[in-house]
Amino acid sequence: MHALGWVAVGLYAAAEAMAIRSLFRPKGLGAAPALVAAGLVAQFLDLQLVGRSLGSVPYRTLGGSIALFAWMLGLAYLALVLRHRERAIGPFLIPFVLAFSVLGVVLPSHAPSGPATRGSLFAFHVTLAILADAAFALSFVLSLLYLIQNRQIRRGRTGVLFSRLPALEVIGRMNRTSATIGIVVLTVSVALGVAWARRVWSGFTDAKLVWALLTLLVYGMMLWMDRRGWEGPRVALLSIFGFLLVLFSYTFVNLYLSQAHVFR
Amino acid sequence: MSDAREARLLLLGWNFRGASGPVRERIAFTTEEVREGLRRLLGKGLVSESVIVSTCHRSEIYGIAEGKGAGEELTRFISDWRGLEPDVLERAAFRRFGAEAARHLFRVAAGLDSMALGESEVLGQVRQALSIARETGSSRAVLHRLFESAVRAGKRVRTETEIGVHPLSIASIGVELANKVFGELAERTVLLLGAGETGTLFARHVLEAGVRNLKIANRTPEHAEHLASRIGAQAVPWETVARELPSADVVVGTTASPEPIVRRADVESAMRQRKGKAMFFLDLAMPPDIEPEVRGIYNVFAYDLDGLEEVAAENRRRRVREVPRVEEILEEELGRFLTWFGNLSVVPTVTDLKRRFEEIRDRELERLPAAERERVRPLADSIVAKLLHEPMRRLKNESDAARKLERLEAVRYLFDLDPD
Repeated sequence: MHALGWVAVGLYAAAEAMAIRSLFRPKGLGAAPALVAAGLVAQFLDLQLVGRSLGSVPYRTLGGSIALFAWMLGLAYLALVLRHRERAIGPFLIPFVLAFSVLGVVLPSHAPSGPATRGSLFAFHVTLAILADAAFALSFVLSLLYLIQNRQIRRGRTGVLFSRLPALEVIGRMNRTSATIGIVVLTVSVALGVAWARRVWSGFTDAKLVWALLTLLVYGMMLWMDRRGWEGPRVALLSIFGFLLVLFSYTFVNLYLSQAHVFR
Repeated sequence: MSDAREARLLLLGWNFRGASGPVRERIAFTTEEVREGLRRLLGKGLVSESVIVSTCHRSEIYGIAEGKGAGEELTRFISDWRGLEPDVLERAAFRRFGAEAARHLFRVAAGLDSMALGESEVLGQVRQALSIARETGSSRAVLHRLFESAVRAGKRVRTETEIGVHPLSIASIGVELANKVFGELAERTVLLLGAGETGTLFARHVLEAGVRNLKIANRTPEHAEHLASRIGAQAVPWETVARELPSADVVVGTTASPEPIVRRADVESAMRQRKGKAMFFLDLAMPPDIEPEVRGIYNVFAYDLDGLEEVAAENRRRRVREVPRVEEILEEELGRFLTWFGNLSVVPTVTDLKRRFEEIRDRELERLPAAERERVRPLADSIVAKLLHEPMRRLKNESDAARKLERLEAVRYLFDLDPD
């Protein structure tokens, strides 16, 4: 089981090594994007196999949802690299793809599927939620890069990181795009989730919903303050804080606070 | 030293290390003079091939020399032509032969021999030297190959190492830092304070960097207007500097003012109007034009002369750290060239050596009566063949190209294979 999932993990690990190596070369993207692309194909096939045995997209299980998250993050990396020829992001982003892929393979991916988790409304709700989380993860990595680059510029350290990382303006722009996508997608996902829950549950107050609204609030504030004088490190810190909320929702809230609303 | 007879590739040069400015100026060739020089060198038969590299810091003559003492003859030729005392020229000159001459050219092409370590301009100058020599018909197989190899090595050094990446000049460093804040500078507004020497230099530099919107303010407005109209910038009144701040992304101070011109309060108010959009200050003036306290404002980047000098020093150290990697690449490419060069000359050397042995054999056989001669000939042949066998095998199989060249030169010297 999951042979292809492990293949993907291996490819991502190789991609990370190549991404770091290319950072120390003056030119060229290196083999990292191609390796990630191959990893994405392997992971996609793995998800398909799992999905076929479950009879649906494998988002209902904890392992499946995390694997799907990793896959979307990998896709986002590829898009960024090909769109902006930005090789400095790889070494920082691929580790997340790698870590979540490992979790996706290791964590259980077979859950009894109750009637509550069928239907396209539900499928869209979960898939979009995972996509939103991938967008926030990207924004998190970009914010780290922003802080690093900001520090390098302030201290006049014009070394490898300085020359490889994009300009602050460019990182900030990519960050805004990711956060905006995350907000829009999460909003749709929450709306679908609420609509679906109305049908299945009889009224609810759910910790995960509260957490999602909090997340939206933080990212909304980040975008708002970006144009109201906080452009710079503060916006990056807000994004990092937002992603901590996402992680907390994924782990702690998922496991302890929410009753019906979990990945198993 | 009998260098001239042992080495066939020869280099005679004057550079900033050995030759004083006035001597270098006297020797320096214009493009037209390079052509003339090449034609005269070949015409006199001093060399069979030649390329001249002439830049502001160096004049170097590469040649394939035939016969002894080509180095001395070349020096005499230059001293006649340039009207310089031979011993003055001689003292300021350096000479390299064979592999050492080739290695020197590779180092020049890679920027290792430049005053600004790792600069890239010299690579273009090496390439140009070859193309002039080709037009003149003075570069043939060997020098053509040598220069193309050097240019290839130089290009590899550019792409595979960081020797040319980190800027050394204060203005370039300032522009590089600003670039890393704003991305493209083309659409940004640069406000330049001062239209003096530093201001003019910096103005040219930012325009070269692609800045389209450059404003210049000077206490004497005529100077600002004069400079602005000369380089296609915009002059703004000195009194309105504070009002110009909100629209300026980059502010550069170059005045001789004893008091700071840009105050913290001005910048704070400008930042409020800019809604926190980043500002970038470069203070190239001493005493400062920009209050140092500006640095503490959120999303404001500010550098003074000391800070920029430190970056320059660090960048210089970075370039020095790259030298071993550069040398590795050069040795690799040099090895490739010398292998080719070595292969090129084993055959003629072996042929010459064989001919020399056969001459001796024939001379000795001549002294015998005809009947004896025919009886001894097979023995003589066999001795010649056996004597030749091992040296030939060893020359052909020597894998280290530089050593092969040295040995070939030694063989040619020991058996006097180069007729004077």
